[in-house]
Amino acid sequence: MTDTHSAVTAGDREETPSDPSDRAASDVGDSPEYVCGDCDRRFYTEDLLVLHRGVAHPNALDDAEREAYRKAYAAEERAIRSFRIRALGILVALYFGFLFLYVFYAS
Amino acid sequence: MRPDPDSRGPQTWRWSRLAARIGTLALAAIGVLLLARGVAASNAAVGLSDASGDGLAVPRWLYVATGGAAIGASALLAGFVTDRAFVERVHEWRRDAGAGDRFYAVGSTLAALLGVVLFALVVYRGFTGPQLATVNFAVVVVFAGGRAGLTMAAYAIGNVWPALNPFDSVGSRLPNGFVDYPDRLGRWPAVAGILLLVWVETTTGVTDTPRALAVAAAVYGVVAVGGTVLVGGDAWFRNVDPLSTFFRFYGRAAPLAWEGGRLRASLPAMRLVEVDRGADAAGDERERTDGGNVDRHRLVTGLDDVAVAVALVWELTFSGFVTTEQGAAAVRGVVSAGVPPIAVYALLFVGGFALFYGAFLLAARVSVRRILTTRTSRELAIAFAPSLLVVAAGYHLAHYFAFFLSLSPSLSAVLATPLSAPTNPIVLTLPAWVSALNIGFVLGGHLVAIWVAHSIAYRLFPSRLQAIRSQYPFVFVMIGYTVASLWLISLPTATPAFLG
Repeated sequence: MTDTHSAVTAGDREETPSDPSDRAASDVGDSPEYVCGDCDRRFYTEDLLVLHRGVAHPNALDDAEREAYRKAYAAEERAIRSFRIRALGILVALYFGFLFLYVFYAS
Repeated sequence: MRPDPDSRGPQTWRWSRLAARIGTLALAAIGVLLLARGVAASNAAVGLSDASGDGLAVPRWLYVATGGAAIGASALLAGFVTDRAFVERVHEWRRDAGAGDRFYAVGSTLAALLGVVLFALVVYRGFTGPQLATVNFAVVVVFAGGRAGLTMAAYAIGNVWPALNPFDSVGSRLPNGFVDYPDRLGRWPAVAGILLLVWVETTTGVTDTPRALAVAAAVYGVVAVGGTVLVGGDAWFRNVDPLSTFFRFYGRAAPLAWEGGRLRASLPAMRLVEVDRGADAAGDERERTDGGNVDRHRLVTGLDDVAVAVALVWELTFSGFVTTEQGAAAVRGVVSAGVPPIAVYALLFVGGFALFYGAFLLAARVSVRRILTTRTSRELAIAFAPSLLVVAAGYHLAHYFAFFLSLSPSLSAVLATPLSAPTNPIVLTLPAWVSALNIGFVLGGHLVAIWVAHSIAYRLFPSRLQAIRSQYPFVFVMIGYTVASLWLISLPTATPAFLG
């Protein structure tokens, strides 16, 4: 039980965000340098920090942070919309895939 | 107040609400649709398709794949629900069930008395009762009552074992706590204990020899009371005692529980969502080593607890496997190559557990690699482990619901006349559709587990897309578990080879 929970080394992690929602790869540093002032949790990107503060410490936000949170939330909403479309595509493919499988194999 | 981004415009708000509704509705519809297909498949699998007029023979691989796809599809559908407020409302819903301290005091005294009497009767009747499993008080009460009934009650209604626990009632009245429990052992003794109990259950014939069961119960009682006296009841029953751990973990999925001195109801399985959003792992760790209060309320705090959750899933898969014709044939095949049967079972038992546990840890590792987070894979495994308990509950129901129903007349008969064998023991023969429910139980457990994992992910990650993406590896592991379990319950059952 003496696991090193704090030893988050950058070396064992590949920074390969394939998803557009994972923020642009360029602004991702090697180490998590965005630190939350209220709980010391570290984040790789500013957007994640902004979202974290909005969700976890809503009462500690000032006006600028509030505005930033809104912006990040809206950007995330767009990314989620694209996820929904892809998920719907997979669901449709699954549905028809199984429909045809049942047509062929269930008798 | 959190600045509610949904207040940007009524349209966005309505859209996300609508999406949530559609998502849940579609989830339900597809679930029902796939269940209906699965049921037909199961009938085919057990050779009943001739009995029903329009029977549909579905190949077993297709039936199993459909179950796996149902899990995958529902995980995607859960991803459609992105309204944090809705997710939170679901798992934070509580109602006061209207019972307070007086009820607790009276109820726990009566239950403690009942527990001690039942335990004494189990040991006594195990030795003196008729040596016939189906009518002996000990066997019927322990397996139909405890293993099946009480466990089902623990996750479906509420956990009464802490009140019944006869070893606690006796042990805590003796002078106790002579040694400090070594904290570095964590809950691993309980993991070993649970696996050992299941091993004893499957290999030593306690299920059909009342005398052996009485010996096992007596030994267990002596060890449990001895352990309580040695390290104190609290440390023993939280960390070592397999039965208490078993019931505590299952009980967390139940809708009823004592919270702050009141009996409170939550939505089923929603008390499994227990991540403190603000607290980070370092804080949790401190609480744990200091024996702090936060730790008390949390079910899973370390990899040892993850192992307990996996063990609960695995033991049911294992007993499912060895009691199928194919499983028995596989064991016979290996034994005929010159390996002793017990070694085969031991290897299968421990190896399979390691495989299930490893798969879960691997999922956590893959998940951490795929998303930009500073959380460690250990944190993720610990956070998501509670969702496994719903899976285990579903499996348990699939394996023991019919068993419990058919033995319930025997159970009430032996409880009514504990000191004499029932003259006319009844074992109900159940209609075939009862066994078809099993597919529903397995899939239902997984579906609820996916919702629990979804809620946990929303509490873990600041970005909702991260929350969704973090679950993919876990969903694949769940699909693996489902496929294994659906395959097992579709197979014809047999007595395990060499264990008789």
